Amino acid sequence: MLFGRKNRKPIIIPDKKVKAWKYTTCNYCSTGCSIEIGLDENQQIITTRGHAEADVNRGKLCIKGLLEHELFDSAGRGTEPLIRTQHFEPFLPTSWQKALDHSAEQIKNIQIKYGRDAFAIVSTGQLLTEEFYTLGKLVRACIGTNNYDGNTTLCMASAVSGYKRSFGLDGPPGCYDDFEHTHCLMAFGSNLPEQHPIIYWRLKEALEKRKFPLIVVDPRVTMFAQFADIHLPITPGTDCVLINAMLYVILDENLQDQSYIEANTHGFDEIKRVVQDYDPKSAQHICGIDEDTIRTVARLYAKAPSAMSIWTMGINQSTHGSDGVVNINNLNLITGNIGKKGGTSLSITGQCNAMGTREWSSCSGLPGYRYLENSTERKEVANFWRIEESFLPKKRGLSQTDIFAAIETGEIKGLWLIATNPMTSMPNTARIRKALEKLEFLIVQDVYQDVETNQYAHVYLPAAVWAEKEGCHTNTERRVNLTRNVLPPFANSKTDFWIFNQMAERFNPSNKVAFPQTPEGAFEEMKQLSKGHKTLDISAMSYDNIEKARGIQWPCREGEHHLTGEARLYTNGVFATPSGKANLIAINFFNNNEQPCQQYPFWLNSGRVVEHFHTRTRTGKIGNCNKFSPTPYMEINPDAAQKLGVTHQSYVRLVSRRGDAVVMAQLTHRVPPNMVFIPFHYHDCVNRLTLGLLDPHSRQPAFKQAAVKITAIDQKHAATINLQRRRF
Amino acid sequence: MYKAYKNTDAVQAFDPKKQQSSAKSPSEPLWQKRENEPHYAKLQDKDSQIKNRYGKPIDLLDITDRESPNLSKNRSLFINNNPKVGANPHRNKQHGFFFNADNCIGCHACEAACSEKNNNPAHIAFRSVGYVEGGSYPDYQRLNISMACNHCDDPVCLKGCPTRAYTKHAEYGAVLQDPETCFGCGYCTWVCPYNAPQLDPIKGQVSKCNMCVDRLEEGLKPACVSACVGNALDFGVIENIPENRQQCKTSIPGFPDPSITHPNIRFQQTKDMPLEMNRTDSVAIKYVKDQQGDFKPVVDQTQGKTKQWSFNKLNSKENPLVAFTLLAQAAYGMFFIVLVAALFNISTFVHFIHADIFMPFSLLSVGIMSFALLMSVTHLGKPMRFYRGFNNLRYSPMSREGFGLALFSTFVGLAALFSAMKNQWLNQVIAKLTTLNMHAIANTLPVEQLQLFSAILALVAGFAGLYYMNQCYQIKARPFWHHWQTTTAFAGNSLSLGALLSALIVLPYLHFTEQNSQQALLVFTLALLSGVLLEGIGLIAHSRAMNNSNNEGGAAHYIQRTVFGKSYWLRNYLLLFTILSTSVLLIVQLTTTENHSTTITLFWFVLAFVNLISAIISRALFYVLVIPTTMPGAFFWKNKSFEQHAREIGLADNPATGVAPTTH
Repeated sequence: MLFGRKNRKPIIIPDKKVKAWKYTTCNYCSTGCSIEIGLDENQQIITTRGHAEADVNRGKLCIKGLLEHELFDSAGRGTEPLIRTQHFEPFLPTSWQKALDHSAEQIKNIQIKYGRDAFAIVSTGQLLTEEFYTLGKLVRACIGTNNYDGNTTLCMASAVSGYKRSFGLDGPPGCYDDFEHTHCLMAFGSNLPEQHPIIYWRLKEALEKRKFPLIVVDPRVTMFAQFADIHLPITPGTDCVLINAMLYVILDENLQDQSYIEANTHGFDEIKRVVQDYDPKSAQHICGIDEDTIRTVARLYAKAPSAMSIWTMGINQSTHGSDGVVNINNLNLITGNIGKKGGTSLSITGQCNAMGTREWSSCSGLPGYRYLENSTERKEVANFWRIEESFLPKKRGLSQTDIFAAIETGEIKGLWLIATNPMTSMPNTARIRKALEKLEFLIVQDVYQDVETNQYAHVYLPAAVWAEKEGCHTNTERRVNLTRNVLPPFANSKTDFWIFNQMAERFNPSNKVAFPQTPEGAFEEMKQLSKGHKTLDISAMSYDNIEKARGIQWPCREGEHHLTGEARLYTNGVFATPSGKANLIAINFFNNNEQPCQQYPFWLNSGRVVEHFHTRTRTGKIGNCNKFSPTPYMEINPDAAQKLGVTHQSYVRLVSRRGDAVVMAQLTHRVPPNMVFIPFHYHDCVNRLTLGLLDPHSRQPAFKQAAVKITAIDQKHAATINLQRRRF
Repeated sequence: MYKAYKNTDAVQAFDPKKQQSSAKSPSEPLWQKRENEPHYAKLQDKDSQIKNRYGKPIDLLDITDRESPNLSKNRSLFINNNPKVGANPHRNKQHGFFFNADNCIGCHACEAACSEKNNNPAHIAFRSVGYVEGGSYPDYQRLNISMACNHCDDPVCLKGCPTRAYTKHAEYGAVLQDPETCFGCGYCTWVCPYNAPQLDPIKGQVSKCNMCVDRLEEGLKPACVSACVGNALDFGVIENIPENRQQCKTSIPGFPDPSITHPNIRFQQTKDMPLEMNRTDSVAIKYVKDQQGDFKPVVDQTQGKTKQWSFNKLNSKENPLVAFTLLAQAAYGMFFIVLVAALFNISTFVHFIHADIFMPFSLLSVGIMSFALLMSVTHLGKPMRFYRGFNNLRYSPMSREGFGLALFSTFVGLAALFSAMKNQWLNQVIAKLTTLNMHAIANTLPVEQLQLFSAILALVAGFAGLYYMNQCYQIKARPFWHHWQTTTAFAGNSLSLGALLSALIVLPYLHFTEQNSQQALLVFTLALLSGVLLEGIGLIAHSRAMNNSNNEGGAAHYIQRTVFGKSYWLRNYLLLFTILSTSVLLIVQLTTTENHSTTITLFWFVLAFVNLISAIISRALFYVLVIPTTMPGAFFWKNKSFEQHAREIGLADNPATGVAPTTH
């Protein structure tokens, strides 16, 4: 010891005294990190740590994952099923038996009275795959409503739609390992460091080993944009114009991979024709990126031995979301960058199991990437489930966003919401509130009793969360990973799997349709259904193998490797279209966005912050997450703020054509003078303002393109409003 | 500096042998490693330099206390009472963090990993990420800064801490703090330029970064480093540059002057930054690039130029310290003036100190000083541990301050006791009640000499106490205080408030005993005038210095002139008024021959009370305004003005807000 000290002070450092580590996969975003949960000798959960040997995260976790074990007993968790006859009455606790009986009866009543499709079901990307599969079976084979969708419509629908249009099937063709091989990475509307920190870390590791150019397209100067070699601060909603202009340059300068195009695609001539209208000289005025930069970027991308694109909500949440995805695919097909190491179109997915719901929930079709529209596949599934083929609709029903419109028009009378919170997450809150008020019957099934949507529920079903359950997630790179059951469900909550099975009993009187009693049983069914699928084949996987391998990518076919699947799709140039060739689809830009005008002079942009997940139902309760942004704020350019007399850290009221919101102003040059940015996590905030015009293909709302004005508000009044709206 | 120190510590020393029975078996790891810990998580040092850039040996065994009985390379740290010793060959070398500012993405993983490992509640963090930003859209840059304890070569926390809660270990050079020793005075949080020690107002104690010595002993880097997602944080033997890094700087924009403590942190920051980097928290500082390309703090006039009263903000959590310092100075001053006047043979005072009144006068001084000390104790997070305040006389000005003032009370008490022995009124009472003849006892002793001797000792002790009180505020990390104005204010208030207190006793006493009060009045006027003059001169110099300074002191002064602008000018006018009027009064007293003592007395008291008001405003401003040289905060986290707002509107009542609902 120094400074003359001889006597030691005791050194006490918290020792978690972990006796056992249990294997799980993170339940927040789609990166798919392997997490070990530490239990002490009393079987109490005391810590989490990243799994050092998992390929995805290699021991790392982000802030949310590091603190994820704190959510099991966080405030506001549902303890008992609740019931009431009108949403304005107080809830009364009830038994599971009564809650489920009553719910089933109400669903049936609505279906009898108004037709099968008058009861809608909106699920999520947060459940385990086996639960999605079971719910899909319950809905498609037993309840029989075609108005069944997931909240993935708010985040991934455009990627799904774009993949289907280009490649014939959903499913990202690339993987994180592509970072190690690529020679150019272009990120569209993706803020990896904030949204997917661990994917960012994988990219950073690759960049530190071998530097390659990084291009970031984002109207905000995010940390990612700041670290990019080239940042393209694009005009919101005009990505298709930028890509078309890049294609113009590539074709004009003959930089395309002609042999790849000829061998593996069709539709090239049409593209060639359409992009003639997108000369960078004119395109620059629409997308806001100057013509020289467009040319530089196009050349860089096309000349790279391999180049890859990643994107997230900047593309998906737009009226051109699906077109944007298709155009990114066009760019990669034309430059020969699909199915090769370092060359890919990699959609960075949002929710932990958005992929699982896309694959297995039957939301937009049938399990295992099957289409309702395909009679062979319909028959296949009907036979497997032992139901009449005619019971299945011949075409997909309404998407989540259209379901709310149908409630508005009175077509839909009842709704079952599973792990989703439209009161906070959907655009135009006022409209959603009105729709929910109109429902004759609303079931809210959620981990949290204080989830905002619950204020309109007639029945509340408390659900278990994460490691209180067992089953799989699929991550962004198609890696199926396992969560072991670590602890029993909180209080009298139940696993979603149990709830679906119980509900199925009430719609499946003669037990004609078989419902496995364990998630692993359901997984076995999924494996059978996946056998021989073009891409989504998981038949060689098993729970034990998945845990041993720390996640396995599909396809993982029987008779092949049991601990590794295939890292990439379409490596042989054969796509999932009927012809086997990828579709090059010419994209024409049309401008239907609400845009800043004299009355509403600011673009309203929204997005994520790293410490929060979605509507903050979980992270808002965990102090060490929530403290970094406990209350909503907007980023506003200091020059714009000065003109309006808005000062740093004062409250302002934002007004759009839909409503108003109160936020705290954060003056920063991160945003342009005609834009404000608001994190979307807060209840009664940004979505009181958003328009959410729908993409024609994916029905995904354009969250990121709306116009607002900024008005002054009495600071004390604003503080009161802010406090009120932060009560869970 | 590194000489042995004889331990007469009141704090129970930790003796590993005593606790052997409960000790864990050496086979138990200090930290449970994962299977196949990745490369990034492991300590990587192959070699090290001999001395650091400040000339200090990196191998700390060389400078460790040579008389230490356990001096061996492989002595245990007894982490959690576990005797296991790490196998790291570099374990006795100074380690430090390496922060690559080029890479930090501000993702909070380091903070989360730290808080998770240390079980910290939301309002406490051993590591925090803040940022500075500059440029104009889209040519904009944000520079995130992740900062914890820098385990400094010169740990000002260790030196400042009155309880000796801090230890700098030769092992890794870790500066560790024991929360169980701490009594929550928060002085370490004042002196640390990096905001590393965390005062928990709920627990009433400080805790801080422990360098994850448990992980280090197992060959792993600290939890925050291992968790870093941007590849920004690293750790190793100081002055070693990590793999793939090119620079090893001691500063980046927003980082306080490293010369204060020689912090063990090194930086890489190669990317060119805009000329001006702003803070997003409420501190009125920005950083401007100088000719050499280094960033220097500059006052950022974020609050405009409007002058406000902000009277309610003067009422702060530091109120007990306002009371403590003012009362302690007044208590000392009253005794000082009377005694010094007596020593100068001014007859009124010579008579006074031998009169019956001297006992209650002294007791009043002791009483006020004790009350002042009590106020300072109420400021502690754990007031019942107040006795630990003297444990670091070797280094801590706070220990010495407390010790000096306590000795002052003791000696004044003794003086009162000796005075009591010849107090006629008291002796009569005692004689009536008991058979004791105090007068006879007093006659056997040189009571008068003893009384005078005690009183002189009290003056010396009190002077030392006040000297160290002043030293407590001469903190480099708090430039607003680090000025000789603090000294003149303390001395000036001792005189002016001391004059008021003693006048309150002496003048009525003279009046009722029908003695002439002219001499006394003249002394009090002189004391008051010299007091306010001292304070005034100091304030003028301070204002000039702060106006010319571009650091946190300048920022504090800017806030003084704007947010508190009207209160500040009220104080200045009051002080000026007192100085001028007291001067006039002095001239009147010196020139007039007639006896106007009643008028002069009344007028004098008016001035003394005006001075009391200005002194209270002054001292409140002193505490409220100081801006420490902390790291830049973020928009919500570590932003004082948001914390205050959250408390005001009730957001802080939700623990997940991360703002403690009360300051202690």
